[in-house]
Amino acid sequence: MNPVPTNDNPFAGDNSGIQQRETAARWALRVGSYIVVIITLAIMLHIFIKGAPVVFQSKWPFVNTQFLTELPATLHVIEDQQGNHIETDVNGADAVKKKLGDDFRSEKTISYSGGGILGPIVGTALLVIVSVGVALFLGVACAIYLSEYAKHGKFLEMVRLAILNLAGVPSVVFGLFGLGAFVLTAPTFVDVPADRSVFAIPLGFTTLSFEGWDTCVLSGGFTLAFVILPVIITASEQCLQAVPQGFRETSMALGATRWQTIRYSVLPFATPGILTSSILGIARAAGETAPIMFTAALAFKDKLPWQKDLPPLPADASIFAHWEQSVSRFLGIFTESVQALPYHIYTLAAKIPQNEYAERAQYGSVFVFLVLVASLAASSVLLRKRLRAKYRW
Amino acid sequence: MSADSTAQSTPPPVVQVRDMDFCYGASKALFDINLKVEYHRVTALIGPSGCGKSTLLRCINRMNDRVPSARVTKGEVLVKGKNIHDADVDLTQLRKQVGMVFQKSNPFPKSIYENVAYGLRIHGEKNKSVLDEAVERSLTHAALWEELKDRLHANALALSGGQQQRLCIARAIATVPDVLLMDEPCSALDPISTLKIEELMHQLAREFTVVIVTHNMQQAVRVSDYTAFLHLGKLVEFAPTEELFTNPREKLTDSYLRGTFS
Repeated sequence: MNPVPTNDNPFAGDNSGIQQRETAARWALRVGSYIVVIITLAIMLHIFIKGAPVVFQSKWPFVNTQFLTELPATLHVIEDQQGNHIETDVNGADAVKKKLGDDFRSEKTISYSGGGILGPIVGTALLVIVSVGVALFLGVACAIYLSEYAKHGKFLEMVRLAILNLAGVPSVVFGLFGLGAFVLTAPTFVDVPADRSVFAIPLGFTTLSFEGWDTCVLSGGFTLAFVILPVIITASEQCLQAVPQGFRETSMALGATRWQTIRYSVLPFATPGILTSSILGIARAAGETAPIMFTAALAFKDKLPWQKDLPPLPADASIFAHWEQSVSRFLGIFTESVQALPYHIYTLAAKIPQNEYAERAQYGSVFVFLVLVASLAASSVLLRKRLRAKYRW
Repeated sequence: MSADSTAQSTPPPVVQVRDMDFCYGASKALFDINLKVEYHRVTALIGPSGCGKSTLLRCINRMNDRVPSARVTKGEVLVKGKNIHDADVDLTQLRKQVGMVFQKSNPFPKSIYENVAYGLRIHGEKNKSVLDEAVERSLTHAALWEELKDRLHANALALSGGQQQRLCIARAIATVPDVLLMDEPCSALDPISTLKIEELMHQLAREFTVVIVTHNMQQAVRVSDYTAFLHLGKLVEFAPTEELFTNPREKLTDSYLRGTFS
């Protein structure tokens, strides 16, 4: 018997509220997402509108080269009787005043707001390189051990929990840890141990002294490395686990040792993902302020790390002495304290009186910082894309 | 070996499992297994799912070592007359001489050439001409050389499923093992690819000794010289294939072959 067709809609929705709840849920999720997007865009746009005019200019070469290539300096603003403002640095101030003569009305000095931000850019770049290098080495080694070698069980779970907890430690605590561990007690080779040395082991030709590395790029880089370690370990472990077990089995079945298996059949395929995790690490390391406050960063420094002051050599100095000084200057990129962008931004915002000139320097620094982080991230994404095309399964 | 009087007249078996019990943790997976695999023969392991045929296969190259708490609790496994659980057995050497092909074809996402050369490379072979020669020989054995010789450096994942599995066979035989273990090598393949691999197995048996796990009884009939029937971790019957399928001694074998249970 065929059913009799009726005019009633056989698929009519009931009025139980399922439809309404569906719509409500969809809108709640949608509104949430839009709020996130709008806030992000608002921040970006604000920084772009305020920061871009500092970094870019309408005349050739379109970029404010002074801002990007000079070290921060004190800005002198001299006002004449007509109310015009003349900006100059400390060396130009007297000449301007002399020229104005009786026209001179007042002079304001604004710390850190003149010159450029080359020092902080270089410092942040060095800190990021050291910290990501250290963190990738330690983090990947740890992830490989946890994922490939360690026996599954309670202990492994506890180690994982500890790593996750490390991610919850406030960054200022990392800063204080770095101060104690790297600035004050890390081992170093010296001829004569300092008074503060925890203990010293004489090695004949030199002494291994636990007296710390002082505030320098190395101390700050190691401290930052520990801040980003949890991210890198967790992400690397997930990437290793994502490599099919079949690769490992096949490799072992062909007689490969465990390390050969990891080296040739696991790591190459996990590398793209590990690089992604290092992107997160780079962004985090570049942006952290508290860990470097006690370990690496200075509010102000009038030299780049490789421009170390050294006593001038006598005219008849040997080539070896010159070479030694060059090496010492080069090693300054690790052993000197630096300015760093996030700390510079903090200094500009919190340590000097606010006015239009300080604000200009702030927005410029923030803008450059964002561009720097974005370009680092972009290059990592590109690298990952190329690797992934090579090792796809 | 002196206890084995029959070994005097016939060549000794390449694989010999004696009174072996095998456990995963507290649960026993294999009970008192006795099995002899002759040189240059194809031996099939059949039985219902979960009967332990794959476990038994993986005992022969100690792949079960990868599973924590899995171990042989009684008896021994001899390969080429040597107890493979002896302390002086190097796993890498054992697995070089006892190759394995897995159920799921799993070539590395590298070039065809690199896949086949992998085993030799990890055993330290660097000489390009030796590698070239081994790659050609292995691919020829796996009936792939003619198809692939012009694109050895293409990614192995671009191959079809059947080609991938034959590539895995080529990869496993590149180190010239004595025994080739195959764990349901055709279960994920279409009938034509399956046929090609079955043809291949007869060829392979001339050079190697093949032990194959299969859930397909017709396949066992087609490819094997000897068949072992396992049920619930026990080896029920082990006989020449023709004999086992036409005239099984055990009632359990008979009812399994008739499909009374599976």
